[in-house]
Amino acid sequence: MVGGPRGPVSARRRAPVLVGVGETEYTKWGGITDRSEYQLALEAVGAAVADAGLGIDEVDGLTSFAEDRNDAIFVAADLGLPELRYASLSWLPGGGGACAAVANAAAAVETGQAEVVVVYRALCQGQFRRFGRGPGNAVGGKVAPAGGRSAVPRLRRARSLLEAHVAFTMPFGMFGPPIAYAMVLQRHMHRFGTTAEQMGHVAVGTRAHAARNPRAVMGDRPMTMEDYLGTRMVSEPFRLFDCCLENDGACAVVVTTAERAAHLAQPAVEILGTAQGTLQGFGHGQYTNVGMPDDDYASAGARGVAARLWARAGVGPADIDVAQIYDHFSGLVLLSLEDFGFCGRGEGGPYAGSGALSWPDGALPTNTHGGSLSEAYIHGLNHVVEGVRQLRGQSTCQVEGAGTCLVTSAAGVPTSALVLGRP
Amino acid sequence: MPAVNAETVGWWEAACEHRLVVQRCTGCGRTRHPPGPVCPACRSTQAAWDELAGTGFVYTYTVVLQAFLPALADRLPYVVAAIELDGAGGARMVSDLVDMDPADVSVGLAVEVVWEDMSPELALPRFRPVRAGGAEAGH
Repeated sequence: MVGGPRGPVSARRRAPVLVGVGETEYTKWGGITDRSEYQLALEAVGAAVADAGLGIDEVDGLTSFAEDRNDAIFVAADLGLPELRYASLSWLPGGGGACAAVANAAAAVETGQAEVVVVYRALCQGQFRRFGRGPGNAVGGKVAPAGGRSAVPRLRRARSLLEAHVAFTMPFGMFGPPIAYAMVLQRHMHRFGTTAEQMGHVAVGTRAHAARNPRAVMGDRPMTMEDYLGTRMVSEPFRLFDCCLENDGACAVVVTTAERAAHLAQPAVEILGTAQGTLQGFGHGQYTNVGMPDDDYASAGARGVAARLWARAGVGPADIDVAQIYDHFSGLVLLSLEDFGFCGRGEGGPYAGSGALSWPDGALPTNTHGGSLSEAYIHGLNHVVEGVRQLRGQSTCQVEGAGTCLVTSAAGVPTSALVLGRP
Repeated sequence: MPAVNAETVGWWEAACEHRLVVQRCTGCGRTRHPPGPVCPACRSTQAAWDELAGTGFVYTYTVVLQAFLPALADRLPYVVAAIELDGAGGARMVSDLVDMDPADVSVGLAVEVVWEDMSPELALPRFRPVRAGGAEAGH
């Protein structure tokens, strides 16, 4: 058994553990038209609670992370929770906050604020604006008609700090993450010689994992390295399949106490350590900030999170059996591998190129569900779901005897991470 | 089009007059971009706009080959770059490169500002390669 600095998890009565996972179907962008994103959120919560062997009436806490459209207070009301005792939202943006939301749920449980906290995320991109098309030009899934906005550009008051920041990027054609993070990889390639084939090992490898996963959106689309290299460029050096999916779906996980978990339907998965945060001056990450020091710019921005995570979990990279590493872009996985210490600075490309990430024979089977590149893009909460399945022995790419799993949230923004363990 | 707040409006007003500026803390001299209300180094709220020469080099870039907005289809391919600006204390800004073949862009390329008036209230600083005899290439 692995024990953190505070001793074995199972020895602490209120130690927070993961006891349930659930999801709706995952489809391509716009594939779910018969019900709302909000309804999917409710369904995912219900599925995760049922998986745990709990009743909805036992849920007393709800949490998610920044940019969630599905307010916990309405979720609580519409699910008829007897009493909502804990609700929170991590500030970490986009995909950076999934692991932090689990950590918040764990803190709520361990401190006695709530008994059963559900972390959820629903993301129906077909029902809202498409990422990368910029704000304000799509309503209810439909692109606003041309001429619907003034032809003469003028300054207007920003409604948020983020909007004032992206004013320094969008007018110059930096419409969204595929462009912003392509620039990060370009810098990484310039400094370290990272190659397209090395990014391709991430994209092709996770596609192979997805082929075994019936939930995966790209499960029926096998891809060779030749296929990958032959796909069109989106924003150099990113090809189409370096970029994650755009899709519809929702998932959720349930956190409760070790004491309560002893009587539930599934084996409890321990939370050996959590960490969250960002580097000094990193801001929203390279999406809006290109001015940080060179070593931070060409990185996942997760070195501080990684150092604190390993210290809190009482394990290091060599102790990890399987990993779920946030993959909004294949190349950013390479940067996360560096920041979390699986290889040296600038060595993420050769590390992936060696086949290390492939199940079953790689040194660090990674994104065994197919990740955001090939299973689904649910802002990385599905990576937590897969981490739980691995430690229960229920993955469709099961790592034999897996006892530890690293889960990371988005690279290139303020982020968070977890180490999960098997009792 | 650009949205502004109390901290950033001065930068856009200068741009409208074709002046490329960077915010500099008058307490410790550190620059910051985008502009903000407090110096992250010394926490001074006093700052000034430093006018720059408008030259710099490409720190990193991407050649965009997909139209993320339908209106951009006829601009493809175009280059978005992070420009490290001369005399700006290491500050970088995002812009796009014009008057060049996107195949010729590289890290370190020396560039200079070229203004495009979008409306009476808005001018955008774009960049093009420095002609022969211009600024030294960076790294």
